[in-house]
Amino acid sequence: MDAARRWAGTSQLRSKLQSVIGLAVILGVALIFSPSNSDGLVFLDSGNITDILRQVSEIGILSLAMTFVILTGGIDLSVGSTLALASSIVAILVTRPWFAASELWSISVAVLVAVLATTVVGLANGLVVARWSIQPFIVTLASMIGIRGLARWLTNNSNIDIGFGTDLAATFAKALSTKTVVIGSYVALAIVFGILLTRTVFGRRVRAVGDNEKAAQYAGLPIRRIKVLVYVMSGMLAGYAGVLHAAQNHQGSPNAGVTYELEAIAAVVIGGTSLLGGRGSITGTIIGTMIVGVLTNILRLNNVDSNLEMMLKAVIIVGAVWLQQRGKD
Amino acid sequence: MKRITTILMTGLLLGLVVSGCSKSKQGQKRFVVAFSQCNNAEPYRAAQNQLMQKLFNEKGDVQLVIADAQQDNSKQIAQIETFIRQKPDLLIVAPNERAPLTQIMGRAIAAGIPVICLERDITEPNYTTFVGADNLAIGRMAGELIVDELTKRKGKAQGKIVEMRGLLGVEAEMERYKGAHDVLKSHPDIKVVHEAVADWLQSNARERMNEILRSQPEIDVVYAHNDPMAIGAYLAARELGRDENTIFIGVDGLGGPAGGLKKVQDGVLTGTFYYPLCVDKAVEVGYRMLTEPGFKPEKKYVLEPKLVTAQNAAEMYEKFTF
Repeated sequence: MDAARRWAGTSQLRSKLQSVIGLAVILGVALIFSPSNSDGLVFLDSGNITDILRQVSEIGILSLAMTFVILTGGIDLSVGSTLALASSIVAILVTRPWFAASELWSISVAVLVAVLATTVVGLANGLVVARWSIQPFIVTLASMIGIRGLARWLTNNSNIDIGFGTDLAATFAKALSTKTVVIGSYVALAIVFGILLTRTVFGRRVRAVGDNEKAAQYAGLPIRRIKVLVYVMSGMLAGYAGVLHAAQNHQGSPNAGVTYELEAIAAVVIGGTSLLGGRGSITGTIIGTMIVGVLTNILRLNNVDSNLEMMLKAVIIVGAVWLQQRGKD
Repeated sequence: MKRITTILMTGLLLGLVVSGCSKSKQGQKRFVVAFSQCNNAEPYRAAQNQLMQKLFNEKGDVQLVIADAQQDNSKQIAQIETFIRQKPDLLIVAPNERAPLTQIMGRAIAAGIPVICLERDITEPNYTTFVGADNLAIGRMAGELIVDELTKRKGKAQGKIVEMRGLLGVEAEMERYKGAHDVLKSHPDIKVVHEAVADWLQSNARERMNEILRSQPEIDVVYAHNDPMAIGAYLAARELGRDENTIFIGVDGLGGPAGGLKKVQDGVLTGTFYYPLCVDKAVEVGYRMLTEPGFKPEKKYVLEPKLVTAQNAAEMYEKFTF
C-alpha cells in the first residue's frame, strides 16, 4: 500500500514536472518568435501578459471545476451552454429596470441569480449522474443541448446588448470587465480550488472516487454526494465565467461559449489529469491553460493563419498526453 | 433525495410542455407558410425570423412555421423533406449553402409547392422566385467608404487597415472581403496590416483585437464583416484608449439596441451597411402568390444595400427596429 502510494506520488510529480517543462518550452518559443517594437519584445509587454491572463480566465475558471469532475472519472460537456445561459440571464436582469434598488444591490442580485441558476443546472447534472447512474458523458451531453436551447428561448435567439451608456447595464459591464476583476477572480478561484483538492478531506475523496470507485464504496465514502458536489461546482463556476463573459463583451449571448467545454477539457488533459479519473492536479490544469493561452497569443501576435493555429493545437494536445503516458511507464 | 430529483425533473418537464403549448396555440388559418431558416443563432437570421413572424401575423390568415437548420446542410435538407410531406401553401428557404440545397429545393418545386429562395442564391434556379441582396456591392461600398474617410482625415488615400473576417468559406464573408479588396487594390498607400478571423463573433473579435493592438502601433481603420465584430474590436481599442483615432466600420445594420444602426447613432461605429433582411419583399411577394391566382412573380428580386452613417442612422433605426 505504502509502495503504491509512493509510486503514485512520484508519477504525479513526474507528470507535473513534464507540464512545467512544456510550459517552459512554449514560453521559450514565444520569446524567440515574439515581434518587437521600440519598447522591446511585444510578448513581454506587461499589457500583453495581462491580456493573456485575461483571455485564459474564462476557460481557466471552467477548467478548475472540470478538473474535479474529471478526477471523479466524470466529464461535464454542458459548461459552454451553461456559460451562455448565465451570460444571458445576467444581461437580461441588468438591462431591465426590474426593481428599484441601488446599483450595487441590483448588480449583486443579477449576478447571484445567474450563478444560482447555473448551480441548479449543475445540481441536476449531478443528481442524474449519481442517482440514476447514467454515464456523465450522456447526461451532460443532453444538458449541453437542452441548456443551449433554454438560453436561446429565454433571449428569443438574440443577443442582449449592454450598451455604452451610463445605466445599470453599463455600470455592470464596467465594474466586472476590468483586468483586475477578471484575472483576480481566476487567481482567487484557482487558489481556493487548489487548496480544496490538496488540503481537504473532500479533495482526497474526489481522487479516491475516481481512482477506484469500488474501493471508495467499501471504505464507506459518500460517493453519490461527492459526485453531485463536483457537478454543482462545475455549474457554479460556469455561471460565474458566464457573468464575466457578458461584462467583457458588453452583451449577453445565448450563443456564447460554443466548444468552451472542449477547450476546458483540453486544458485539463494537457495539464496531466487522466480522463480515467483519480490522477491529476489543479496546478497541472493551470499550466495546461497557460500553455494553450501563450501558444495562441504568440501565433496571433505573428498573424499566423488561424487554420494553422488549430492544427498546431491538435499537435500540442496529443503531444502533451503522449509525454505523460511515457512518463508513467 | 430520490423524491426531490423526481419532483425537480417532473416540474421541469411540465414547465417545458406548458410553455411549449402556449407558444404553439394557433387559431384556424387559411394558409400555412413553412420557413426553413439556415441558422437562428446569427443575429441577422434572428431578425429575419422576427420580421417575418410580425409581417405574417399582420396578414392575419397565415400560419408561419419556422425550422432552424443550425448551420447544417443535412439538417436543412431533412427539414425541407419533412415540409414537402406536409405540403405547405408556400415554402421559404434561406439556404445554408448553395450547392447542397439546390437539389432538395428542386424536389419541393416538383412536388408542386411554390418556393421562395431567400437571401442566398442556389446553383440551379430551383425556386419560384429569389429575393436576395448583393454582398459584393457591400464590400465595394465598404472599400469606397474606407477610401473616403481616410482621404477626409489625412488629405489623401493612405492608412493602415485591420480586417475582421467572418467565418471562412462562407459566401458573405468571401464577397464582403473581395468587394473591399477590389476597391482598395487601386490605392497602394492603403495597407491591410492585419487580417484576423473572428467567426462573426463579438467576443472573438475583442480577443483578436487585443493582440492586434499590441503588434500594430498604428491602426486607422477597422473593417469588420459584421457589426458585432466591429463592436468587439472597438471594445478592445477603447480599453487602451485607442478608439478615438480609429474608424470602425461594420456590416449588417440591424435595428434594435444590439444592432449596428444604434451603434452608429452612439458614435461607436463610423459607418455600417444596411444589408437587406429581404423578408419584407419576400412576404409581400409571397402573400400575393398565395392570394392572387393570376400573379406571376419575377424570377429574381435583388435588393440594394445602403450606407449608414451618423446622418441617416436615426431614421434607419426607427424604420428597422421592430
